[in-house]
Amino acid sequence: MAKALAKSSFTEVGHAPAKTFDLFPRPTAKTGLFGWITTVDHKKIGMMYGGFAILFFLIGGLEALMIRTQLIVPNNHFVSAQLYNELFTMHGTTMIFLAVMPLNAAFFNLLIPIQIGARDVAFPRLNTFSLWVWVVGAILLNVGWLSHFVPSWKFGGAPDVGWFGYAPLTSKVFTPDLSTDLWVLGIQILGLSSIVASLNFIVTIINMRAPGLTMMRLPVFTWMALVTSFLLILALPAIAIALIEVMFDRNFGTNFFEVSGGGQPILWQHLFWVFGHPEVYILILPPMGYVSEILPTFSRKPLFGYPIIVFSGVAIGFIGFGVWSHHMFTTGMGTIATAAFSIATMAIAVPTGVKIFNWIGTLWGGRIVTRTPMMFALGFIWMFMMGGMSGIMHSAAPADAQQQDSYFVIAHFHYVLIGGATFALLAAIHFWFPKFFGRLVPEFWGKLSFWIIFVGFNCTFFPMHFLGLNGMPRRTWTYDSNMGWNEGNMFATAGAYLLGVGIFTYFAVLVYTFFKGEKCGNDPWDGRTLEWSIPSPPPEHNFSAIPTVHARDAFWYEKTHKAEIAQEKAALIKAEESHGGIHMPDQSWYPFFSAVGLLIGAYNMAQLHHPVIIMGKDVLSSHMPLAITGGVMLLTSCYLWALEGPAGYHIHLDANGNPPDSHGGHY
Amino acid sequence: MTRTRSDHRKVYRFATALLAGLGLVLLSGCKLAEVFSLSGPQSTMVTDGPVAKSQWDLFMVTVYVTTFIFVVVGAVLAYAQIKFRAKSEADEHAEPAPEGHGNPFIEIGLIAASVALLVIIAIPTLRDIWYTHDVPEDEKGNAMEVVATGYQWWFKFEYPSETIKLPNNAGEIPLVTGNELVVPANTPIRVLLRTVDVIHSFWIPKLAGKVDMMPNRPNFLWFKADRPGYYYGQCAEYCGESHAIMRFRVIALSAADYVKWLDNQKQAARTVTADAVPTNEAPHAQFASLKLDERQALSGSAEFDANPLAAWKKMQDPEQNEKAEAVAAGRKLFQAKTCVSCHTVRGHEGIGVAGPDLTRVGARSTIAAGVLENTREHLHQWIKDPSHFKPGNKMWFGGYNTLQGEDWQPNPALTLNDQEIDSLVSYLHSLK
Repeated sequence: MAKALAKSSFTEVGHAPAKTFDLFPRPTAKTGLFGWITTVDHKKIGMMYGGFAILFFLIGGLEALMIRTQLIVPNNHFVSAQLYNELFTMHGTTMIFLAVMPLNAAFFNLLIPIQIGARDVAFPRLNTFSLWVWVVGAILLNVGWLSHFVPSWKFGGAPDVGWFGYAPLTSKVFTPDLSTDLWVLGIQILGLSSIVASLNFIVTIINMRAPGLTMMRLPVFTWMALVTSFLLILALPAIAIALIEVMFDRNFGTNFFEVSGGGQPILWQHLFWVFGHPEVYILILPPMGYVSEILPTFSRKPLFGYPIIVFSGVAIGFIGFGVWSHHMFTTGMGTIATAAFSIATMAIAVPTGVKIFNWIGTLWGGRIVTRTPMMFALGFIWMFMMGGMSGIMHSAAPADAQQQDSYFVIAHFHYVLIGGATFALLAAIHFWFPKFFGRLVPEFWGKLSFWIIFVGFNCTFFPMHFLGLNGMPRRTWTYDSNMGWNEGNMFATAGAYLLGVGIFTYFAVLVYTFFKGEKCGNDPWDGRTLEWSIPSPPPEHNFSAIPTVHARDAFWYEKTHKAEIAQEKAALIKAEESHGGIHMPDQSWYPFFSAVGLLIGAYNMAQLHHPVIIMGKDVLSSHMPLAITGGVMLLTSCYLWALEGPAGYHIHLDANGNPPDSHGGHY
Repeated sequence: MTRTRSDHRKVYRFATALLAGLGLVLLSGCKLAEVFSLSGPQSTMVTDGPVAKSQWDLFMVTVYVTTFIFVVVGAVLAYAQIKFRAKSEADEHAEPAPEGHGNPFIEIGLIAASVALLVIIAIPTLRDIWYTHDVPEDEKGNAMEVVATGYQWWFKFEYPSETIKLPNNAGEIPLVTGNELVVPANTPIRVLLRTVDVIHSFWIPKLAGKVDMMPNRPNFLWFKADRPGYYYGQCAEYCGESHAIMRFRVIALSAADYVKWLDNQKQAARTVTADAVPTNEAPHAQFASLKLDERQALSGSAEFDANPLAAWKKMQDPEQNEKAEAVAAGRKLFQAKTCVSCHTVRGHEGIGVAGPDLTRVGARSTIAAGVLENTREHLHQWIKDPSHFKPGNKMWFGGYNTLQGEDWQPNPALTLNDQEIDSLVSYLHSLK
């Protein structure tokens, strides 16, 4: 401790932290349950995001398989209409908010600090807070499933208003169940988590870049993460407002969407899609980033047209805010508005096309090494092109009047979200798995899972184009056998099972690799960006010395200028040590405690007007006191969090960058 | 890059075998051509009206343009993938291609080409946005207006221009039907779209694309049937538990048939008199023993589907073998079991408006909003257990069951045995 104090440059220059308020001793465990729930390490947080997201991805997939099983034959009674509605609502909600978004968040956490040559995000404890708040939202959304098994919990099952929750179906008149209240609060809280995380990433990317890493040298993934973060902080307030309005309509007698009180249900649709359309780009821009990292690596060639890829990403983000009403072509907007949104939608196809041209340009003249991540990345380009083509078809508003809310639309967005986003995510998991777990996924099994997923996916969703053109509406629990949809549905369901087998294979192989996979070095793919320059798995402090970036593909430059870089590194390590070693942030209880407070508050808020019943007895006439308790816990934790200060400790490295004493003293 | 190439070949061999095997299974499992068939009664390709046709034609423009793009870009991509694939271990480790970061002329050229292709789609899109929006000016004089109202989960149709005089000079009301919209062919129909509860969407794929029925919003759409025909329609916006089975039919008739239909509709409900009854008719089947084969189409038997319009026309005529006593008993039950408080039978006792108007329910081809073909057996099963066919419907929740506190309890005033249901069926089927 004294040694650390003496060495700390902060103390020397008078930056000693003031005596802070400690209600609890700060957690120091690096492993075990408490180590994980109090961690501020962006890599551990990223892994937890990823783990939870994969869990929900599998749950959402199971929901999809139940949906497809119900539709395998006409007039089927595998599930009831009510359960079916819960399944498709939760399938959509889960896949968007609890699978793809947190998987992207996982990669933001894992990669952004390393790609920009930083040791953590700008606000490490806030990062922990984002994670646990996200978990709270996930719990609230899914707790309704339990009420199917616990009859005394009268939630009315899981949410059943659709992931889009169109008013006035969400009105208390039509869905009096608690499930809708829990859905409203669950989505609201997930939005809170995303806004907090996005602000954190924006500050991190703008302020914490290594020396020499100009904006136009940023890896494309980090660029796309930056654009996505801006989309999130601009789009989420719209849905936050809309959700608050629904909550007030349901609980406090307001009339935003209540038709009998003069409310306008169309307002919900505008607010929802002002969020919902940028959300589509929130889901797909990070995958475009992964692909833009993977293609150059396996083509052994820099990304073709880097500035244009970056600018088209920004353009997509920008135009993405101006096309929301193409989800509403059938709501009777009138000719002018329909025409305007139709043209804007066509316009957004241009920057998207530009990205595809540049990816092909990247392959052109390269040496394409078809490892599993590359297979998924190439699959992404093909499938995303398919989804893009049907997207252009939808931009023709009169044609869309036939396709909207039909299976054609289902085919379209699954080509974008599975063939696009999910393929890219599977590529990314495969690509960066060796970096964070130090083991290589076996090629044979990786490729096998790719082919099963690829075939299964196309068998499932390609026939849906035809089902839609043949007039099959979506969100339908059953269909009659004289509509000409029997064969298409049977085929699609068979494909869905195959897709399920593929996804199972993929993750089973990952689990195997985690325990038994072949160990690998720092740079198994001959990578181009900074994450490949550090050990696998990376040490807590990421870099023994913050690197200086000399070119766009920073690590590729380092590999081609070895002698010069080695000298520079040694000097940087020495300099850093002379400043008192590597400063790392302290762990904290409060982000987790405040999330627990939020969970208690929100869970009881949803049931505000219902009596508290324990063991069949009315204990309290309303949930208000419990809701207030949760709120107080949240605010108290935030306050104590502010009081405890960031604190931190130092890690000292020897001249080779190895830690002789990794337990730096606390001060 | 330390892996060997031998395991790649294994993967490809396995994948090929897998693909071939799967293809065989799927081919033998179902007729592949049927998977991609667009010949169903809700096909958007086989259209029967100018609105749906313009929408399909525009769709095909987008298909041609995007297919062209896909083929060209796909060909380049496929070529690049094959041509630049590392073919050996040495190849993988060969000196990478010269570093290059893009070519502005290629980029700008591709952007310009993309814009040009999109303009090809944009021009007919703009034309059709205006065309499909409302009845064209030169046809306005000829157009007919109807009001379609969405309910959870059925449709009410009103004919504001066809009024019926109420007895005792009590005023005029528009003609009302439910779940079957009968219109003259070759006449532009302007449908005013209304809803009493949540958002529904009005969609007749063969005649016109959908427009939503929004609360507090006066939406409308138009269509024209090129020829007499029987068309399927369906709600296309998620509207709650039984959204999947909120269906309707549109029947387009020749001018003469339409006038005949209209004249009959405007009459008060039909009453069966004893002398209309022929003697020695066969007794009706025992319904309790009937089993429903749900793999068969519920909404149209094979005979019905063979020529639905002719089958529909046949249903307009009174049935043979009507039993006046059974009909009269059914009419009494209709009142005693409180059916009258939700259903209108104009000229009889029914005055309710919460459920579909049943003044001519016997002449409709389906019941329960397009779910069941209107046969005696189906009607019997529907009255016996409506929640089996339409979960959450108001006849079950509110009629057969009433809310006691927080739970639904069976309504003691509304219990029906099979014989009573049989009488009700006779009554309802006499309403032609």
